[in-house]
Amino acid sequence: MQLNESTYETIFLLYIDNELSPKERMEVEAFIADNPSYALEMEALKATVLSAENMPYSFKENLKQQEWDTTYSTIIKEDLQAIPGLSTPFKNTLKKTTASEGIVVKSFGFKQNKFSYAAIAACLMLFWGYQQLTKTPASITIATNPNTLIVPTISTPSGETIISNSKTKQIASNIEPIAKTKQDATIKLQVSNSSNRSSAFKLQKETIAIAEPTRNNSILDNQVIISKLPSTYNNPISINATPLPATSTNIDTETTQAEKVSTSYEVIDTEDSNRTILIANFEIDGAAFRGITRRVSAFLKRNKSEKEK
Amino acid sequence: MTDKAYNDCVDNFADGVYRFIVKNIRHTEDAQDIVQSAFEKLWLNREQVLPEKAKSYLFTVAYHQMIDHIRKSNKMPLSEDANFPHQQITQQHTELKQVLMHAVNELNPIQKSLVLLKDYEGYSYKEIGEIMNLSESQVKVYLHRARLILKNKLSAYAPTAS
Repeated sequence: MQLNESTYETIFLLYIDNELSPKERMEVEAFIADNPSYALEMEALKATVLSAENMPYSFKENLKQQEWDTTYSTIIKEDLQAIPGLSTPFKNTLKKTTASEGIVVKSFGFKQNKFSYAAIAACLMLFWGYQQLTKTPASITIATNPNTLIVPTISTPSGETIISNSKTKQIASNIEPIAKTKQDATIKLQVSNSSNRSSAFKLQKETIAIAEPTRNNSILDNQVIISKLPSTYNNPISINATPLPATSTNIDTETTQAEKVSTSYEVIDTEDSNRTILIANFEIDGAAFRGITRRVSAFLKRNKSEKEK
Repeated sequence: MTDKAYNDCVDNFADGVYRFIVKNIRHTEDAQDIVQSAFEKLWLNREQVLPEKAKSYLFTVAYHQMIDHIRKSNKMPLSEDANFPHQQITQQHTELKQVLMHAVNELNPIQKSLVLLKDYEGYSYKEIGEIMNLSESQVKVYLHRARLILKNKLSAYAPTAS
């Protein structure tokens, strides 16, 4: 701020209008103290400022408004308190029965049909998980390749695979069928007795030979060798066979001592309800699977009929 | 703004608004009407007006209503640079205060409003500009010009008085 002869008037006017900062005001006062000739000029300007003057407005009460907070609210509050409350029995008649609070399933933005599919998929996964958890390990579970049939075998020192004895035909007739197949299997049988004659016969039966254990076939005294199974033989049935401790009974006298191998088999009934179905790598209980398919089809039919309605 | 805040405004600002108007138009009844109109407008717009802006709002409304009133009555010219008939300061104005008020009354309405708002209400240039719809520099120039007019009139009176 430069105070001089040309600027003093403007700065003095700002001074009397209180538009200067305290520091600038001090500078002005110092300038006047140093230059007393400007003091009269400052006094003349100060004289133009109007002094405070009281001029009361006498109609204030007419301008005021009734305050809602202090008047109407109090009146309404008093009126509300004056009204008696409703009786409890009457209030109870006004109440509505509300649904009990249960599990609230939200659709998470899914449409109803999409949510139904998701529910079905979740049920299937739960069922599969239950099956995995409750599955008991079989003594011997043989998952067969469609083109192979795995049969418990015992190898003799001569390298032949023994599955039957000389009374194969008789024993086979005593074995009850466990599964049916419409395919024929040609089995080359080599009897391990002293005659060493090979015979091949064609199995025309619809039954593959493992059945309920009977007295006649529970212990096989001789074995039949299956050297090769035809590739056309297709039996995707898993056979649970548990070899029992070998007991040597009824050994044919014509067999050599080295070929005396007796094996016992416990043949498990696979017609029971616990039979499992193998789909790829998953083992599914057959009866449960049928039940699920029935339920799913019924659910879909019901859903469809509801939509049509 | 609540109802209570409005009534507080009546208590705190009614005198100042009335003084500002009556000093300008020098007519008490008209001034009372203008003050009443200003507060009525504040009451109608109380929902939009903040309590801290109520005083400025009242002076703005009152000033513009006063301008309308002056135009309707056609009593005074509104040009800032208009020349007023110079009244001879008579010997009756012995009191300096009365001389000053007489000089203020001879200012045009804009200059007078500037002086009144500055001296009575203590508004800054910026606040006066908001009330009177002027820029800050216009307020400064017009007000300084009014001060110099008053100074000259007072200095003209002083030798006579002396």
